Amino acid sequence: MLQIVRTVFEAIIAAHGEEESVSEVVMHHLTDHPIVATESSNVIVKFIHQLNTTVFSEKLFGVFDMRITRWVIMMWLAAFLCMVVFIPVAIKIKRAKMGSSSKWVNLWEAIISFVHDEIVEPNFEHHYAKKAMPWFCTVFFFILFCNLLGLVPGMSTATGNLAVTAGLAVFTLVGMIGVGIVKQGPLWIVTGVVPHGIPIVIFPLLWVIEILGLLIKPFALTVRLFANMTAGHIVIIIFIYLVMMFKSYWVGIGSVAGALLINLLELLVAFIQAYIFTALSAMFIGSSMHAH
Amino acid sequence: MEVLKEGLLKVDPGLFLWTVITFIVLFLILWKAAWKPIVDALDARAEKVRSDIENAEMMRIEAEKQLAQHKEMMEKANSEVASIIAEGKAEAERIRSAIIEKANAEAREISEKAKKEIEMAKDKALAEIQTEIVTISTEIAAKIIAKNLNPEDQKKLVEDAISKIGTVQ
Repeated sequence: MLQIVRTVFEAIIAAHGEEESVSEVVMHHLTDHPIVATESSNVIVKFIHQLNTTVFSEKLFGVFDMRITRWVIMMWLAAFLCMVVFIPVAIKIKRAKMGSSSKWVNLWEAIISFVHDEIVEPNFEHHYAKKAMPWFCTVFFFILFCNLLGLVPGMSTATGNLAVTAGLAVFTLVGMIGVGIVKQGPLWIVTGVVPHGIPIVIFPLLWVIEILGLLIKPFALTVRLFANMTAGHIVIIIFIYLVMMFKSYWVGIGSVAGALLINLLELLVAFIQAYIFTALSAMFIGSSMHAH
Repeated sequence: MEVLKEGLLKVDPGLFLWTVITFIVLFLILWKAAWKPIVDALDARAEKVRSDIENAEMMRIEAEKQLAQHKEMMEKANSEVASIIAEGKAEAERIRSAIIEKANAEAREISEKAKKEIEMAKDKALAEIQTEIVTISTEIAAKIIAKNLNPEDQKKLVEDAISKIGTVQ
């Protein structure tokens, strides 16, 4: 038995190249790479490799490297899972007018109600809450599914990457500015962001601060989600790496137990961070509905 | 630090754009196919529950009102019944005493009449007896007188007899 475990570990170490440093192992797991097919890859990977070398080989507008990477695949998987879960649930909820008896449907309905009651409702008036629901539901469940997929061994956390979280936070920035301009007129960007009743002298100073705040809010969202999702994974990887470092089975017991605990914690963090990102987005966008 | 900048903290524009595209596509699909029907259904259900609760509340108030009404009616009926019974009792008492009164009066009348008739019958009988006695006495006297009396004695005897009858009477 122990012999088998040792061979597996040696194989893993060998696969990563003899004696990788801890930072190299961590980097390998947490950074993005375009999909590259090898001889033994399956059809899908080879197809993506084909796309990367033909359609997406040129940079779009000279800036955007559109080659499909591991993280893009994880996002698509999360998006696909969202559709697989929620479209049938929607059909069932629509069919069962007085509540479905299915536990599966009720599970998702409870979480959707949570998003409605705890995230959207406190920040929007009733009429707008109904309009805002689809947006924040998508944000919440997309982030949640990305976070949870990252906990599955062999997969990656799409939300543990600054480009992805920035992509999500940009919508919050656009939402804040867009809602402000639509609800309070185009002059909102000048007058609406600054609290009323302040002396004209410090108005420009405050305006600069408020505009900076406007930009910092989504930036904070970006960093918060990224850091939270990455930190847990680094700890898990290092726990596992301890085994390879010490080459001892006794360390293995401790590090696996530790990694398991961190994994359970990550399960909680996956929900909490999806909630925090969505709740703060709702708060920021909701606050530009009215002058303050 | 170079490792971090190139690896962990790198913001790849391509991945950023893919995120935006993926998210918008996911949003549009789920908006039409999932969130809209779900939110509509949940709203409709919430509305129905609210109106059901309101209806139930209204019905409860209505029922309470009717219960109060019925209680009032019951009380009224009870007091009416009591007064009817009391009236009946009083009436019965009145009739009873009236009947007894009447019976007493009739009884008195009958006994009164009976006494009168008895009196009358007695008087009549006495009168008849008197006349009979007078006749018989006269006959006896006539016989005796005819045998051995003179006219003076005879006259004295008759007078005695008459006066005696008068005292008997």
